[in-house]
Amino acid sequence: MIFNAVEIMTPILLAALGGLFAELAGVLNIALEGLILAGAFAGILAGAASGSLVVGMLAGALAGGLLAAVFTFFSIRLRANIFITGLAVNLLAAGSIPFISTWMFGTKGVLRFPDLPRLPRLLEGVTSGVGFIDSLLFGHSATVYLAWLLVPLALVALYRTPFGLRLRAVGAREESVIIAGVDAVAYRRIAVLISGVAAGLAGAAISLRLGVYLPNISAGRGWIALVAIYLGYRHPIGILIAALLFGFTESLAGAAQGLLAIPGTVLLGLPYAITVVAMITYSALRARGLRRRRFIDAHF
Amino acid sequence: MAEKPAASRAPLRAQTPETVVALLAALLVTVLLLVFGSPNPARALRAFFLGPFSNRYYFGNMLDGAGLLLIAGLGVSAAFRAGVFNLGGDGQIYIAGLVAAVVCLALPQAPAVFGIVLALVAAVAVGMLLAGVCGLFKYLWGTDELITSFLISAAIVPSVSYLIVGPLRNQQSNLLTTERIAEQFRLLRLLPPSNLNLALLFALLLAPLAHFLLYHTVRGYELRITGLNREFARYGGIAIGAYTAVPMAISGGLHGLSGAFAVLGTHHAAIQGFTIGLGWNAIAVALIGRNHPLLIIPAALVFAYMEAGARAAMLHTEFSFELGAIIQAVIFFMITAHVALPRLRLHLRGRSTAA
Repeated sequence: MIFNAVEIMTPILLAALGGLFAELAGVLNIALEGLILAGAFAGILAGAASGSLVVGMLAGALAGGLLAAVFTFFSIRLRANIFITGLAVNLLAAGSIPFISTWMFGTKGVLRFPDLPRLPRLLEGVTSGVGFIDSLLFGHSATVYLAWLLVPLALVALYRTPFGLRLRAVGAREESVIIAGVDAVAYRRIAVLISGVAAGLAGAAISLRLGVYLPNISAGRGWIALVAIYLGYRHPIGILIAALLFGFTESLAGAAQGLLAIPGTVLLGLPYAITVVAMITYSALRARGLRRRRFIDAHF
Repeated sequence: MAEKPAASRAPLRAQTPETVVALLAALLVTVLLLVFGSPNPARALRAFFLGPFSNRYYFGNMLDGAGLLLIAGLGVSAAFRAGVFNLGGDGQIYIAGLVAAVVCLALPQAPAVFGIVLALVAAVAVGMLLAGVCGLFKYLWGTDELITSFLISAAIVPSVSYLIVGPLRNQQSNLLTTERIAEQFRLLRLLPPSNLNLALLFALLLAPLAHFLLYHTVRGYELRITGLNREFARYGGIAIGAYTAVPMAISGGLHGLSGAFAVLGTHHAAIQGFTIGLGWNAIAVALIGRNHPLLIIPAALVFAYMEAGARAAMLHTEFSFELGAIIQAVIFFMITAHVALPRLRLHLRGRSTAA
């Protein structure tokens, strides 16, 4: 079950890490869902056409980045409402993929690619002697390790480079950054592009692992990633924990399905339900914490 | 958390070019997709433009669709106008439709007015509850209502579908649907054999009512000010907390109403997925109508026409894809974009200052 949780959390972690860049630059990127979908579709197409998983991943990243570029063009360049354009990205992905799919393969349903190489598993057979640690760390798909690698990378990029400092400043205090001579708009665009690339990788990680493309393959992971950013206190390590938590609850729910005889259709809504409960709980706790701190500040 | 810009700031007339450009862009994309994606472009285009007017059935159904869009669109703008987002419309409509159907099915012998009113009230209440809690959480703890409303809606849609195809399914029907509601609850059909019914008239009355409430009452004024500038509103002594939760609840209630009419007026039963997409379409309608209650009437008509046209085009070409979603995407991209149209804009602005 822990093994499964790690596999489930990977796309969420990838998308949330990218989304963190946008969030810290002051953009709530509600387009993650559509960006993941684009990455999943482009990733498996390119992977199957080239026979290379690396090419597939790169294509996923490219598709996510390109769609994010469209997103920034409208939302930042043309100053359109960022939430409406975010929805537009989601709708564009959901609407145009069936179109392309029908045009290329004659169906908008499930696409199978039998020739696609299987995603390699790394560190198989390595053992620490403790079952729990083994299933957490070893023998996972290569994409899992890619996601883990990106955690320290994001940490360094955001907190140990001038780029990261400016990016965070753009989100926290835009006016001072502009006075300091930093092109805030450019930083915001780059941040959204990064989140697009990461979401595209997340999508490719989903479809390449399954080896098939299903309609709505992203299944809400973009939204879950968005919530994971908050639950992780807008910090890469926190996001890692939050994503793991989501992965774990989801795999637990999957296991409970058989025991409790919950109908499968109802369970489709479960990831969303878990996510919204987590989000409300988090904000309630945080609000209480803030109030207490304010009380202490005021009285002592 | 990122600041949400107010849905609309500039005066209506200054926004006209964007609306026209957005609609034209959507039209252009549709035509291009039909030309390149259909084996018989001429027939597809003909079906798209003329299909909705080809007979009483299509025409009536288009108007019926516009009525539902109008009510839901008013719901979207109720939240928008107060500066909050209700992204859960789709789920609110769907579950409200089911609730209306269940109320009617539970009381097959009840008098018409009693059953209809009860079904409407129950559906509105469900919608208000689902959206209202998101507003409440926002008010209490600052939880982003945009995300929670979407997630709650996405979480309940599968359960509603389960109830329709599972325990409540009509075993005699080939469709995945509940039993049909009793005759006396079905709203009067205005243009048989189409689905057009009294709900459209109700919707057409609702828009001026919303306009009156928004522009001619103190609460409407306070709601608009809160939507335009929360800090200013608070400084002016407006209880902005109330204008977070209440508009969300109103928004959910109107979505619920739309779902109830989809059952009482249009389909006479809750069918699996029968209103899916209506919530998103309503957002497009509210945006085309610039969140102005009276402008939402033509916006709903235009959108219903494009949607009916897309459906007709697909029917005639045996070629199916999510044209509706693509049309929406184009509108969403363009409708709030600041497209450079220097001459046209200058011209219109000159007129608006002269007026």
